[in-house]
Amino acid sequence: MTRYSAPKLGGYAVLSAVGLLAALISSRPELVALTAPFLLALAAGLALATEPRIDARIELDRERVLEGDDVTVRVAVESPTAVDRLDLYLQLPAGVELVDGHNPVALRLAAGVEREVELTLHATRWGAHKLGPLFTRARDPLGFLVWEDAPPVRSELRTYPREEVLRRVLQPRETQVFSGNEVARRKGQGIEFADIRHWAPGDPLNRINWRASARRNELWVNESHPERNTDVIIFVDSFAEARLGGEGTLDFAVRATSTLADAYVRRRDRVGLISFGGILRWLMPGTGLVQLYRIVDALLDTQIILSYYWKQIDVIPRRTLPPNALVIALSPLLDLRSVGALLDLRARGHDLAVIDVSPVPFIVRPQGGLDAVAHDIWALRRDALRHRLQRAGVGVVEWQDDRPLQSVVEEVREFRRYARHARV
Amino acid sequence: MTTALLALGALGSTIAYSIETGGRLEPAALGVGALSLAVLAAGIVFRWPTTVPWAIALAAGAYVVGREGRHIVDGWAAAIGVLLLLAAELATWSIEHDARIHTERALSVRRIATLALLLGVALVMNFLLLGTAAITASASVVLAAAGLAAAVGALVVVLRLTRG
Repeated sequence: MTRYSAPKLGGYAVLSAVGLLAALISSRPELVALTAPFLLALAAGLALATEPRIDARIELDRERVLEGDDVTVRVAVESPTAVDRLDLYLQLPAGVELVDGHNPVALRLAAGVEREVELTLHATRWGAHKLGPLFTRARDPLGFLVWEDAPPVRSELRTYPREEVLRRVLQPRETQVFSGNEVARRKGQGIEFADIRHWAPGDPLNRINWRASARRNELWVNESHPERNTDVIIFVDSFAEARLGGEGTLDFAVRATSTLADAYVRRRDRVGLISFGGILRWLMPGTGLVQLYRIVDALLDTQIILSYYWKQIDVIPRRTLPPNALVIALSPLLDLRSVGALLDLRARGHDLAVIDVSPVPFIVRPQGGLDAVAHDIWALRRDALRHRLQRAGVGVVEWQDDRPLQSVVEEVREFRRYARHARV
Repeated sequence: MTTALLALGALGSTIAYSIETGGRLEPAALGVGALSLAVLAAGIVFRWPTTVPWAIALAAGAYVVGREGRHIVDGWAAAIGVLLLLAAELATWSIEHDARIHTERALSVRRIATLALLLGVALVMNFLLLGTAAITASASVVLAAAGLAAAVGALVVVLRLTRG
């Protein structure tokens, strides 16, 4: 706790001293009368001043909310000694706004009585928001002494990104060995009809196609595609982003990642995460609701961290990228390191689709001159970059901010349906 | 805004009294008083709390100038002293006020009550002091002793603050 005196303490003391000395020198009782009230205030103020011992705590009614939700925060303060005036200020992080309540607030704290300040906060942006620190400033009754403190009370509000509804997702080219919702290309035990073939010893009776067998006078059996699960790795580029008016490309990428992870987990697919940027984070592929929460929790800590270190795909642990996994990259294609990593992934034979979270809406085009030319050249270079990825057999779609994610996914699906699987 | 206007009003009333009783040094009292008001107004507008004691000292100077040549103890000095304290407290309140901080109504009421109590006690004390000083000549010795003790006390406070 820091204690300091208000400017008026020194001022009153000097006034009192000077006034009384002047009264003595000039022998004027009136000067004593002018000075005495200040001396009285000073004496009373200092006599009444006691150092406060403030205990504070922050309570949230929910620690996990969705973007756009409101949450109630209670700031409780208590002191064994009375505090005549206590200013409280709870510092709110970016992404959390005050909707109702007063912050900062000045109140009186009676000795041993707990006071609560209730604040309603609105979570405007996803993230792991740390509320606090809580700043306190106590004053004595006449405001001569001030005690400031920042008690170590912090609380975390985890705001999950809002998800969109996806009716269809991207299908990987290859499936894995466990059962799931994806119809495999290969033939085996399943529901989806694939073909018929000659009966062979060991084939069960219920697989015989009696119509085909009657027509051809020999036994034919049905073949089907098995339903298998898939491995999906979501690759989030966190090297750079474009931001404008409180929104940025990373926000869109994180929301899309959360939506995609939810959709794939519901299909019983294994989903992994790679956050490729200034700090590399990864999650091994896994399935189930727990994995979904792991992914979303990992996403909350995603942020743009400036780094000049030239990272390549080698830095990613090998087990994070299983064979035959579909890699869905969400990138604004602003940093050459992430573009290089994507091309490298494709060159290693991974099934790759790129959703280009377009930074163009977040950049205001200059009105004219060389800046406008530079902007246009930059836009052309982005087009060229996308074509380069497409030439490598990667489905790339530019995602502008006003388009639903489903339409972007459908566009990638169309590209993957007609594009030839290139060997690079 | 209210506190600022009241502070200027309280200081203005002391200056008006000084000019009213100014006699031959009325222009000097007017000048010093006007300067005092200007200093306080500037302090409030620019939120300089260190200007408040200067404004009070100037207003007190204007009063002393106004009393020049008069040897009868002025009974109104008790009220003038209280008004100066009121001006200083209200000016400080105005400077400290931060519109971003929501202040509970009870807190403002309590502050007003504390200030009123302080002013009341100061007024009573001042009347007693002036009464003591005006009774007899020997009382001025008592007053001098009390004044000296208070002056020393004030200096001790200043020194303690400097050390702290």
